[in-house]
Amino acid sequence: MLRLEAMSCGYGGMRAVEALDLDVNAGEIVALVGSNGAGKSSTLMATAGHVALQGGRILFDGADISRASPMARVAAGIALSPEGRRLFRDLSVRENLIVGGYVRDAAHQPGNMDTVLDLFPRLKERFESLAGTLSGGEQQMVAIGRALMSEPRLVLIDEVSLGLMPKMVDVCYRAIQALKARGLAVLLVEQSTARAFAVADRVVVLESGRAVWRGSAAEARGNSAVIDAYLGVAKVEGAA
Amino acid sequence: MLHVELTIQGLINGSMYALMAVGLTLVYGLLRILHVAHAGLYTLGAYIAVLIANATGSLALGAAVAIPVVGLAGMIVYRLLYEPILHRPPYVALIASIGLFIVMEESYRLIFGPYGETFNAPYLAERVSVGPIGAKAAEVAMVAGAIVLLGVLAFLSKRTRFGIAWRATVTDPAMARAFGVDTIAVRYANFFIASALAASAAVLVAVLNNLVEPTMGSVPSYKTLAIIVLGGLGNVAGTLVAALALGVIEAFGTIYIGHLLDRDAIAFLFLVLVLMIRPQGLFAAR
Ligand SMILES: Nc1ncnc2c1ncn2[C@@H]1O[C@H](COP(=O)(O)OP(=O)(O)OP(=O)(O)O)[C@@H](O)[C@H]1O
Ligand SMILES: [Mg+2]
Repeated sequence: MLRLEAMSCGYGGMRAVEALDLDVNAGEIVALVGSNGAGKSSTLMATAGHVALQGGRILFDGADISRASPMARVAAGIALSPEGRRLFRDLSVRENLIVGGYVRDAAHQPGNMDTVLDLFPRLKERFESLAGTLSGGEQQMVAIGRALMSEPRLVLIDEVSLGLMPKMVDVCYRAIQALKARGLAVLLVEQSTARAFAVADRVVVLESGRAVWRGSAAEARGNSAVIDAYLGVAKVEGAA
Repeated sequence: MLHVELTIQGLINGSMYALMAVGLTLVYGLLRILHVAHAGLYTLGAYIAVLIANATGSLALGAAVAIPVVGLAGMIVYRLLYEPILHRPPYVALIASIGLFIVMEESYRLIFGPYGETFNAPYLAERVSVGPIGAKAAEVAMVAGAIVLLGVLAFLSKRTRFGIAWRATVTDPAMARAFGVDTIAVRYANFFIASALAASAAVLVAVLNNLVEPTMGSVPSYKTLAIIVLGGLGNVAGTLVAALALGVIEAFGTIYIGHLLDRDAIAFLFLVLVLMIRPQGLFAAR
């Protein structure tokens, strides 16, 4: 569904990701791991159209979307839950979800909202609260829910577990598993390798903008020493 | 009784400030521009209304033309003045805005003459009273107009998809755009609504004073800047409270310290005192 072909991206003259090849298929969870500054967020942001492509191509369902605007990519079916979540803090949960579904017809809104609330029942209680007043876990639910409002087929989720209480991490991963079961493709960035290896189908390790290891989650579990060495001492272990 | 009357007088003036200042704070919230020329658009609204009312005998027609035309004029000001310099530091837009305001005031003087226009027949001059409390019909219209218009604005921004998208754009324009919000349309709508509110205030003030003159925007121009600072720049609810509070404080001040300071000086004394105690304004900025 998503294919990055020798994708390079960066900021001005600076290169963040170098010639990355990556596939994500329907019904599959791919985890990107790597140390700070490895280029994980940049990969997601480039896929969503927020970071400039410096080389290679991005294909979605076989169509070249390398030059498409972020909004066109949302309309095509790519949704992003970005680093730091970037919720609309002064808007309520309900309003955040409404903006998330803005590319779709207003008639779809109630149905999509029900889908999100079924996935995250806790948000029902916080429906009219301002997003800025929510706990970290609730904010993560809103960020994922907001992305789902656009009826995506590929979801990009940055920092799934970072800074969250373990219970909240479980809730988020159960939701991500449910998305996979519905046939969505999920590309996520995970600070905790233990979490990543437990939920993902495949794992890609980035270091200094390059893919240095890739394999199935089972292989990753078997090679965790190697991978941990790639992540080095700078590795940030989120709430595992 | 005096205190009740002073409070009412303050709320009447405060309503006018509110209509003006909310537009200003909306522009600030979205674009971080101090839109001084807002007061020039206000004066334009008053001129359009008085000229049409005198030509046709219908104040309603004058208002019905003035409000949307000034709204469009606000969109044009955005397009021609601000949009080309949005990427520059904020003081560039501020200087441009002050420049435009001066040009507008001088143009009104050249075109319409320095002495001002009055309505052929004064409107809403009769007094209405509820029990012991009385006010001019135009004053009642001012308060009612502010309540209705700001009520409509609140409804639009909280209850419609576009209004919610507008507030999302104020919070994080890049994210809002990514989700499919047309942030350029949001900017135009913002200027249309802000300017239309200013024109509504201007029509009401013109009727109340039965006078439209080239410099009628001068005092509102700086007083509304003071209000939006007090209200926490970009904070609409805070701006409303600050506008009403300033109206009331001026009304009381004119009676109790009016022999020392005139009304505008009292307003600024209040601003200075508040900012000494709370540099961020009465409310947090957005
Ligand atoms: N907005 C930006 N402008 C300039 N350089 C940036 C920007 N964002 C990231 N970078 C640089 O790009 C490189 C990759 O950063 P990126 O955020 O993609 O890493 P990451 O793997 O997500 O790291 P982390 O685990 O800290 O989130 C880093 O060297 C970083 O300093
Ligand atoms: Mg990152």
